[in-house]
Amino acid sequence: MIFQEHATIKQKLEILSDAAKYDVACTSSGVGRDGKKGETGNTMASGICHAFGADGRCISLLKILFTNECIYNCKYCINRCTNDIPRATFTPEEICTLTIEFYRRNYIEGLFLSSGIVESPDYTMELVCRTLHDLRTTHRFNGYIHCKAIPGASQELIEEAGWYADRMSINLELPTARGLQELAPNKSRKTILTPMRQIQNGMAESRAVLGMKGGNQSAYWHTQKRTGRALPGTQASLSASQNLYGNTGITEKGAHNKSLKMQPAQESLIPSSNTGLTQWNRKDVSRGFVPAGQSTQMIIGATGESDYEIIAVTEALYQRFDLKRVFFSAFINVNQDASLPAVNGQPPLRREHRLYQADFLLRYYGFRADELLTEQRPFFNTFLDPKCDWALSHLERFPVEINTADFDTLLRVPGIGTKSAQRIVAARKTGSLDYHALKAIGVVMKRAIYFITCNGQMMYRFLKIDEDYITRNLLENDTDVMKGFDEKVTYKQLSLFDAFPMEDLP
Amino acid sequence: MDKPTRIYQCENTIDGIFSAVYDAGLSGYGHKFIRIQPEQVNQPENYELFAEYIQVKTAPEKTKSVIDAVREKISEKAYHFIMSAVISEFPDKGDVIYQFVTYGFTIGPKICSALQIPCVERIFAINRAVQNETHFFREFLRFQEVQKEPSLLLAVIEPRHHIIPLLTEHFADRFIEEWFIIYDEAHLEASFHQKGGGWEVRLLTSEEAKKLEELSEQQEEYVDLWKTFFDKIVIKERINKKLQTNMLPLRYRKHMTEFIDE
Repeated sequence: MIFQEHATIKQKLEILSDAAKYDVACTSSGVGRDGKKGETGNTMASGICHAFGADGRCISLLKILFTNECIYNCKYCINRCTNDIPRATFTPEEICTLTIEFYRRNYIEGLFLSSGIVESPDYTMELVCRTLHDLRTTHRFNGYIHCKAIPGASQELIEEAGWYADRMSINLELPTARGLQELAPNKSRKTILTPMRQIQNGMAESRAVLGMKGGNQSAYWHTQKRTGRALPGTQASLSASQNLYGNTGITEKGAHNKSLKMQPAQESLIPSSNTGLTQWNRKDVSRGFVPAGQSTQMIIGATGESDYEIIAVTEALYQRFDLKRVFFSAFINVNQDASLPAVNGQPPLRREHRLYQADFLLRYYGFRADELLTEQRPFFNTFLDPKCDWALSHLERFPVEINTADFDTLLRVPGIGTKSAQRIVAARKTGSLDYHALKAIGVVMKRAIYFITCNGQMMYRFLKIDEDYITRNLLENDTDVMKGFDEKVTYKQLSLFDAFPMEDLP
Repeated sequence: MDKPTRIYQCENTIDGIFSAVYDAGLSGYGHKFIRIQPEQVNQPENYELFAEYIQVKTAPEKTKSVIDAVREKISEKAYHFIMSAVISEFPDKGDVIYQFVTYGFTIGPKICSALQIPCVERIFAINRAVQNETHFFREFLRFQEVQKEPSLLLAVIEPRHHIIPLLTEHFADRFIEEWFIIYDEAHLEASFHQKGGGWEVRLLTSEEAKKLEELSEQQEEYVDLWKTFFDKIVIKERINKKLQTNMLPLRYRKHMTEFIDE
């Protein structure tokens, strides 16, 4: 191993941002906090991106590792201890200075601090805490901080970090416990889910004491509330997700038996009662405990899970752990490890994209995982987005009359998003809507026209509510269904699609 | 009934436009026959043959009167709509504001959602354009430290609309303890923020503008560190310039640190 003992700050930044780049989340959303006299910074509830890199990913936070030294040997990770790569370690002061100086120039919205594991989880978490302490108190930084909880660190240190951070995250790493066992032998579902539960409980307590300032509810929570379903983290939601597993048989039989440690029976692994907040006597409790909530991420395509399993785990994380976001990371074989799948060329970006679309359907649109996929049909359609795909297999529900349909019915129409649906409902109060008004409202007409009527009329007389007809037209006229990808949908691919063997999907 | 269109010509300023809205509203001539034309700089005068032209005298108290009425009789949201429109550079903004306010006084608060009415659709689109541009600059504006002891931050932008006040509001809350200047090169105006709070927007003389441009040409150490980070954070296997351009349109890059080559 090459240790950069006397590296300059630039060399360290090169190594430690390069090492941090595989972390997906760069969001700075979830908490709005005004500026304060004598301090630097504020936060916006919507979050702010500050740049977009050549890969098109948002750069919102200074995303770095404290150190890329690591005692663990996770097979997928570039920083694993058996890799011969340049290593570096920041000092807390260096991180604080970089954060403040970047922030003052409006390069960033704040800090995203993660770390390889040096000495022990506690030792590492302590370094992270010291850095955040200095940034908040010595440098009086009031902007956004996202901090990784180190699996296996003590409850005290996790809690301390939560009082400095706006958001915390613990990576699930892989969608199944089996995958984790294979690829990250030093981590376990238990060391990952324990701090996740601790943070969840802490946030609930902070919210109860401080109100909204102690932390906003997630989009998923709001959607559940609107649709009158069980709210995340409540007893009702636990039994609801129990039903989910019961119905889908995901906990039963087959190779995926061990896959879901989330299943209720095994959750006894995670302590739940002794995780109350113990540091209310701190001076800085007014920001709240992890006010922007927690997130997680998992690697997609390194192990053999189906989309259905991934999206079911995602839903379970929202329901049982009240997460703000679940991120997906298309697998890149950085280590060329023989036990990992060889990836020819591009990482599975399209699959990742479909999972994100499905995630939005869960969080904002009120879809349940088992409405989108089933055990019999466990993969998303590569050519159509999950919402179009769902609509095409539920044509009996269409067309929807724009001038009378309720909000949740509108939301299920392809081409109508949450904003358009809200605008439609609001505009109808003044008078009826025609197709021109829908366009002004922002409805994506080329997708919606097959599924809607305005005052009883479809937009064109020749439109047919027929699965083949709509599929053909969507693929022909709506290149956005392929948004983010350069490939053109051609007739060739269309005929391929007609005979597409679903099992062959990436 | 058919009668000649009346065109109210006014200064292209907030007070000028609201004075015209006020005069036109009070005239009782009927909104279908009224147009409001803020003077456009560098634009050929385009007189209509059968229209009556009325020169509006700018009076700041008329602005207050219009704004108070909108907030009271319509809504805060309507007020935000007209303020976005008035700082925009769209040539039809005078007409749109006038029609929107007229409808609003009849329909009330729900006017802002009534996108099936053409002037509402239009003011909604104008508002979105102005707010989007402001947000892009909240994201992509870059400060540089052009002076130490005391530290002074300077940002240069070239927006389409007069968004300096909206933008400065954001940074004034964020950087209470900084001296900073945001300079709008396109409209030759700038905001000046004092350490500890308080800021103002001013039109600049050409000497002042030149001074700011000279100041902005300095180099400083954090530029290099930021560029390092900006390059290193990219995942090579995922490079997608098209996506990058969608998210960060080229027109914003001119003054962005990471896109400026030494």
